[in-house]
Amino acid sequence: MRGILASELLKIRGKMVWFLVVLGPVGVILLQAVNFGLRYDYLTDQYADDLWGGLIGNVVTLALPTLLIGIAILASMAAGIEHQTNAWKQLLALPVSRSAVFAGKALLHVLLLFVSCTLMLIGTLALGFVLGFDAGAIPYGRLAELVYYPFLAALPLMVLQVWLSITMANQAVPLTVGIIGMIVGMFGSRFDDWVPYKWPHLINAAGEPLYSVACGIGLGVVLLLIGMLQFAGKDVK
Amino acid sequence: MSKWIVETNQLTKKLGGKAVVSDVNLRIKEGDIYGFLGPNGAGKTTTIRMLLGLAKPTYGHVHIFGHELARKRIEILRKVGSLVEYPSFYGHLTAYDNLEAVRRLLDVPRSRIDQVLEVVRLTKEARRAVKGYSLGMKQRLGIATALLGQPQLLVLDEPTNGLDPAGILEIRELIKRMPQEHGVTILVSSHLLSEIDQMANRVGIITKGKMIFQDETQVLRQQARSRIQLAVSEPEEAWRMLLAHGYHVDWDRQQLTAELTDDKAVATMVAALVQHEFAVYRVQEESASLEQIFLNMTGGEGSL
Repeated sequence: MRGILASELLKIRGKMVWFLVVLGPVGVILLQAVNFGLRYDYLTDQYADDLWGGLIGNVVTLALPTLLIGIAILASMAAGIEHQTNAWKQLLALPVSRSAVFAGKALLHVLLLFVSCTLMLIGTLALGFVLGFDAGAIPYGRLAELVYYPFLAALPLMVLQVWLSITMANQAVPLTVGIIGMIVGMFGSRFDDWVPYKWPHLINAAGEPLYSVACGIGLGVVLLLIGMLQFAGKDVK
Repeated sequence: MSKWIVETNQLTKKLGGKAVVSDVNLRIKEGDIYGFLGPNGAGKTTTIRMLLGLAKPTYGHVHIFGHELARKRIEILRKVGSLVEYPSFYGHLTAYDNLEAVRRLLDVPRSRIDQVLEVVRLTKEARRAVKGYSLGMKQRLGIATALLGQPQLLVLDEPTNGLDPAGILEIRELIKRMPQEHGVTILVSSHLLSEIDQMANRVGIITKGKMIFQDETQVLRQQARSRIQLAVSEPEEAWRMLLAHGYHVDWDRQQLTAELTDDKAVATMVAALVQHEFAVYRVQEESASLEQIFLNMTGGEGSL
């Protein structure tokens, strides 16, 4: 498995994948910088008793759609490397297990998004400092929750996109699903609790964000296992 | 353990109800260069896909190194190197990085990369992105990739496809010296009989999914027996006369041909013709080419 991941990391070199991983969080933070820069007085007045909370809340509203579209694009790029020159046949004729190849692609994807989310966290802190918020009052716990909980709750969507991108040579389909997913996801908070697109919002009837996270991890693992099984039995073109 | 490196039994693959490969019994010995021959669409690539575990047989079994592929796929593939159809590569990476991506999966020492690059003579170009390579170089890189894991069995599907004559010659020489230098067994497929004829010691011919010939290349050559072609005045009468005198001759309304026998028999046959006052214009030996045999076997559908 280490070999597979090392090989995957080598393959995404020079493919703008890392650029996108950085672009997502940097874009969100820059937009918030503009937002807070232009309306500094209004916003600091509005969030006067919880400046950091206000900043985090604003970052998260932009971060969610970015995360969803990022999931689709990165999955498509990672799979596209193989589709482009039809490298699947070479890869799968090597002495590696099919399910490990699938799991490797999914793991790479999760890893890339984890890096993205971490950059988002660092960027939020940096923006807070630049805006002159009190460094002593940073709600580290809440910040980490609001960055990593949606990431974990979005696991099933990650696996779904990886699966679609790997299974279909034509990347238009998974990308369409991803884009529609992003739009649907923006209004996710209005859906019933069982809809996975609602989970990254961490809203549920019980009012406990961890339930959404648990659902995300659970369904993510189930989908991963199904995907591995399906991929292992598939004929390669 | 059987003596065959590759053995398939009644290997069958159906796609959409139609048997693309049916009842193929491949037998490849250690040290063979096995030529797998057939016209386009005969089922060569599908068979090779099944040998590599890329496609599942609808029916039948594949044994490689004496083990069943379905059970011990990973152990078997560790000892197999392959190049299926046109080569696969990651165009944005250099040749070196392409090999490195595969090396990390095979877990062989890094020095192997330089060795295989040396074998296919790409060392100088190794640091260039592969998308700028010529087709011949890509093919050579594909072979290098196949050699990376020090395989005992090399499966090359149409390795000379789309190459210019110099490239074909180069690949052919590479393939021919591999069994001696590296002790590998090779399965090489092609739709060109002349190609196979020049490198293989055993041949399997497949057409419409069925194996129609499998033996030493020598045996195939023996079928290419020569005949004597006779150009005479009034060939039909000459044919009747020669038959009446007990010669084995054929008349297809265009050509009078006789089975090749010893020189004396040809001389008496010509003498008989002259005695009966036929004018003999030409007596020439016509050697049926392997291509013709191949065409006859495959029912004239071969694209040669």
